[in-house]
Parts: sequence; structure tokens; C-alpha cells
Amino acid sequence: MNMMTSPELAATNTSQILSVAGLSKSFGSLQVLDNISFGVARGETVCLLGPSGSGKSTLLRCINWLERPDAGRIVLDGQPIGITSGGVVMGDRELSLMRTRIGMVFQHFALWPHLTVLQNVMEAPVHVQRRPKDEVRAEAEALLQRVGLFEKRDVFPARLSGGQKQRVGIARALAMKPALLLFDEPTSALDPELVGEVLAVMRDLASEGMTMVVVTHEMAFARDVASRVIFMDRGVVVETGTPEVFFNAPTTERAQQFLLRYVAAPAAPSTLTTPQT
Amino acid sequence: MSSADVLAIFSGALTTLLLSACGIALGLPIGLGMAVTRWARVPVLSQIVAVYVSLLRATPLVTLLLLLFFALPNVGIPVGPISAGVIALTLNTSAFNCEVWRASLMDFPKEQIEAAQSVGMRRGLRFRRVVMPQIVRTSLPGLINEMSLLIKVTPVLAVVGVVDITRAAVRIGAETYEPLPPFFVAIAIYLPIVYALVSLQRWVERRHVRLEAAA
Amino acid sequence: MIHDFGLVWLDRELLLTGLGNTVLLSVLAGFCALALGALLSTVLMNRSRFIAIPGQAFVDTMRCTPFLLFAYIVYYGLPSLGVNFDNWGAGLAALIVYHTAYMAEILRGAWAAQPRAPIEAGMAFGYSGLRMFRRIVLPPLMLSAGPVVGNQVIQIVKDSAFLTIIALPELTHAASSIQSRRYIPFAAFIAAVLLYWAICLVVEAGVAAVGRMAEARR
Repeated sequence: MNMMTSPELAATNTSQILSVAGLSKSFGSLQVLDNISFGVARGETVCLLGPSGSGKSTLLRCINWLERPDAGRIVLDGQPIGITSGGVVMGDRELSLMRTRIGMVFQHFALWPHLTVLQNVMEAPVHVQRRPKDEVRAEAEALLQRVGLFEKRDVFPARLSGGQKQRVGIARALAMKPALLLFDEPTSALDPELVGEVLAVMRDLASEGMTMVVVTHEMAFARDVASRVIFMDRGVVVETGTPEVFFNAPTTERAQQFLLRYVAAPAAPSTLTTPQT
Repeated sequence: MSSADVLAIFSGALTTLLLSACGIALGLPIGLGMAVTRWARVPVLSQIVAVYVSLLRATPLVTLLLLLFFALPNVGIPVGPISAGVIALTLNTSAFNCEVWRASLMDFPKEQIEAAQSVGMRRGLRFRRVVMPQIVRTSLPGLINEMSLLIKVTPVLAVVGVVDITRAAVRIGAETYEPLPPFFVAIAIYLPIVYALVSLQRWVERRHVRLEAAA
Repeated sequence: MIHDFGLVWLDRELLLTGLGNTVLLSVLAGFCALALGALLSTVLMNRSRFIAIPGQAFVDTMRCTPFLLFAYIVYYGLPSLGVNFDNWGAGLAALIVYHTAYMAEILRGAWAAQPRAPIEAGMAFGYSGLRMFRRIVLPPLMLSAGPVVGNQVIQIVKDSAFLTIIALPELTHAASSIQSRRYIPFAAFIAAVLLYWAICLVVEAGVAAVGRMAEARR
């Protein structure tokens, strides 16, 4: 049974894995997030879109309390994150426990440089979740197979390309068997030709039913893969909706301006019609 | 401690500083010579330099000093405490300086030498006008660091009887039965000198960074 | 000359005892200085100026003070504070206190050069406290600081020789004894120099090994 009482959360159902309510955050005098609320259902892929400085990354980082929100509640699968239901700020141990249930993929990969690829993937499941090493190794190798990097398992991250590092980062996050995966601009630091290999892995994950929240500038990805799009500007949720609605018929003016600037060409038809003669 | 005592410490300090200056003045060019020898890969000589530098960087100054002071007269070279002190300081600091110069030489961009070659500069001219000015600049922080290290080891000269600052402090302590105050005075003299050198080194490093950024 | 070295060989026990003491002093002082230096470096990086500034003052003072004078002060000064160390205690204390300052500065510099992202990843994956420090923070830090720490250990070895002044029976003191008893200064001190060289080569081999591990991961 949920312990939530605020009205925004009253409509949650058991298939909602993440709910964010009334989230606000300021850095000094700059308000970066202003009363943000939304929910993510199991199996959804939610893309956070918006211009730079809109607060998307900060919002993402508040979900696993890498940034500490000034106000608001975050609930993962029925359990609050960061502040207990009694209103007490969580201690290190409790917070760390919650974080093991949320996977994160970083813009600059953040792989652990002193460990090999395989060790990177195995590290947290063995030492934080305390799972048996053999079981973790088998799973880690399977994950590396899945992202196409099994041959590189004994290589150090410094020897990998950006795209390879990010795929390892995804495998590393998956190894924790998280309820939810967060992606913080996963392809922004990549050379253009390496972006595709990472998006392909993310596409597969989405189609397999992984619950994902993705901050990205890759509009084609959002259009094709997202089950829902949340558009933010200057710390506020401006518009949300399915990709079909958002990309083809945005209702708000700010969304329209954004799409004009960031989407070079209007949405092309997905299949070419052959001329009927 | 009377004012005469303090004066004695100051005159000891002067002796120390003069000897340090000798060591620094001799050690810089000798270190440079050794570094160039290794950089130019002069046969036989570079290997000797390599061994010499490795040995001297591993040898504590007090051991080296005692060795020179006692052993040289034994093989027929009469040395007093001051000469032994200067020789020991010079040998020690030249080895460390060699490594500082060598690091700059090895980091020196080859293209600049090739550019100088391509306009017909011969080796001596190349070295004097292209290489030297730049390695002086890049070596400066390391060399100043080495100078501050040298000054910090000079108290050891008292061991062989040089009437330096340590000797003065020890003597006064023995006479007044208060060993600590003269040593505090001694440290009070050393501290600002070393601090000045360390600050100079930081200033040079910052200037270097700024010049690099502007280039 | 060979005859002289033969005489040194007769006294090899004294020399080897001196070597053993030098190594013992250096290893003890090295470990303690590194551990205390790690603690002190957290003081140096503390956000509160009341904590950081005295720490920095201590470090700066040690770095501008000749070790020999500091050793004298520890040796002569501690008794007046009621602490009665013999020359071993005073020598070890002086080495540790002095080099803790240097180690703290080294570790602070190494820490500042570390990238923050892998540590944030550690937080995101549920690491905290001691586990975070041991598995995520410390290994890359040690790999990066290895060579500089190694150099400082060599410095500790050489500073231990100064302790001959307070009659500590380390290597230089042993060589001095042999020299004064048998009048073979060259052989005695050359033997000591070669032994110091051997110690340094061992430390440098360790540093090189750490350097290779770091290089593989760079």
C-alpha cells in the first residue's frame, strides 16, 4: 500500500514505477526546477527534451538524489527516495540501497579506469549487492555479448572508443538489474559515427520492455522509440505527450519554436511511396 | 641567549648561505653539461653520467660529506671542512639538476630543431639560440625547487666542522644549557629564505602557464 | 684498497645492522607518514577555513624547514614537554611528523587531479563511505600518486641518514664507526653509499611497477 497523500499521487496505479511530485531545485538564486510532477509507468520509455539550461539533466539527477531537491517527493515502486515517509532525510546507507535499484548511464561514461571492462560490469553487483561472483560473472559476460563487447572484456576503458565505453556503461547499469534506467545525454559526448551503435542498444532495451528515462538531443530517437515525450523549458514542464502528437502537432508555442530550431526537416514519411503508374 | 649569541648564529647563517650559493653556482652548469651529454648520447660518457647521477641521487648528503672529508685526504687530496662541504653540495645538486635539465631537453619539440637545421644552423648555434633559451624557461621551476632543497640540507655541514649555523646553534645551546632557543632562531632564519624560493618557484610556474596559454 | 674493503667485510655485521635500521626506520616512517598524510590531506581540503588554514600552515612550515634542525628540536625539545624519547623515538617521530606534511601535499595534489565522474558513478551505483573509498577512490589515486610517493620514500631514506647526528645506529652511523675504528674512510663510506643505492633501486623498481600498472590503464 502506498503511503502517499498528496493529490498528484492519488491517481497512481500499481503499474507506475516512478512518480515525481512537486520537484523544485535552485542553485543559489537560479531556479532550475519549478514544481515538476510526472509519472513513469512500467515498460515506458520517457524522453526528456528541451533546450540547454531547461533543467532536464538536473531533473534526472534528482531522481536518484545525485542532486538533492529543495522540495518535492520521488517514489520508486512504492518506496520514497531521499526522504523517508516519516519526512526524515535518508542516511547514506538507505540512500545507497535505493540507488542500487536505479541504473544510470552518464554523458561522459564515468567508467572506473582502474578496472577492466568485465570488472567494471561485475564490480557493483559483487561488492554492493553482494551477489556470488560466479553468478555475476556469467551474467556480466552475457550482457557484454548483448552489447557486442565480449571480446573487449579484459581491456581497460582507456583503450576503448567513446561508443564502446558507453555500451560498457549500459551493460554496467543493466548488471544491477535495476527497476529503472536513467540516461543522461548518453550520446552527446560521442563522435557522430559512434552515436548509432549506442542508440541501437537503447532501442533494443526499450523494445524488451525496460523502463527508461532518457535526456537526449537525438530527436529521431525520441520520435521513434519514446512512448512519451516530456518537453521542458526553463525549469517547467511545458508539454507532454506521445511522440506522434508532440512532433507533428505540438500544442504550445514554446514547443513549436523548439521543434523549428532543433528539427532540421519536417517529419518525413516513414515509407517511401512508390509512384503508381 | 645574548645578542652576541644571536650574532654568532647570524654569522653562521652567512657562512651557510655563501656555501649554498657556491654549490648552486657550480651545480647549475655542471648539471647542464651532464644533461646535454646524455641528451646528445655521447658514447661511454653518457653511461658514466647515468650511473653517476643515479648514485648521487641515492646518496644522503651527510654520507657523501663524510666520505669526502675523510677519504679524500687518505688518497692524497687534502680537503678542509669548507672545501669538502662545497664539493659535496656541488656533486649532490649537480646530479639533481641534471635530471631537471634532462627532462626539459627530452620534452623539447623535435620540430624546432629540424626547423633550425633546415635554415642551415649548425649544432652550436642551434643549441645556443634555439634550445637553450627555451629549456632555461621550462627548467626554471625544477631548478628553483632544487635550490630550496639544497638550502634545506646545508645544516649538515656542521658535521665536519664547518662553523655554520648548526655549529653556532649547538655551541650556544651547550653553553647556555638551553638547547632549543638557538635552534628556533636558526629555523627562523632558514624559513623565510626557503619560503622566498618556494614562492618564486610558484610565481615562475604561474607565469609559464600564462605564457603557454597566450602562445 | 681491496684490503680496506676486506676490513669492511670483517665488520659487515655492524654495517648490515645499520642497513637494517635504516630500512626499518624508512619503512615505518613511510607507512606512518603516508597514512597520517592521507588524514592531513582531508584537513587541507576541508571547507572550513578554521580547519584548513592551520593544517596548511603546518605543511608550509615543514616544507620550509631543514630536516636536520627539526630533528634537533624534536630530540632536545620533547623532554621539556615531558615526553621522554630516546634517540630512536625522537628520530622516528621527527621523520614521521616531517614527512606527513609532504605526503599530505602530494596526496592533495593527486586528488585534485582526479576526474570526478567515476566517483559520481560510484554514488549512483550505491557506493558510499569506506566501500566507496577502498574500491572506487583509492585505487586510481594510488596509481596516479605512486611515482611521487616513491620519490618521497627515497627522501625519507636519505633524511634518515641525518639521524646519525643524534647517534642513531643507522647505516651512515655504522659506516662512521667502521671508519673511525679502522681508518678506512673510503671503503667504509663507499660501502654505505652502495647500500643506499641498492635501497633506492628497490624503491625505484616498485615505483616503475606501479607506473606500468598506471600506464596500462591510461
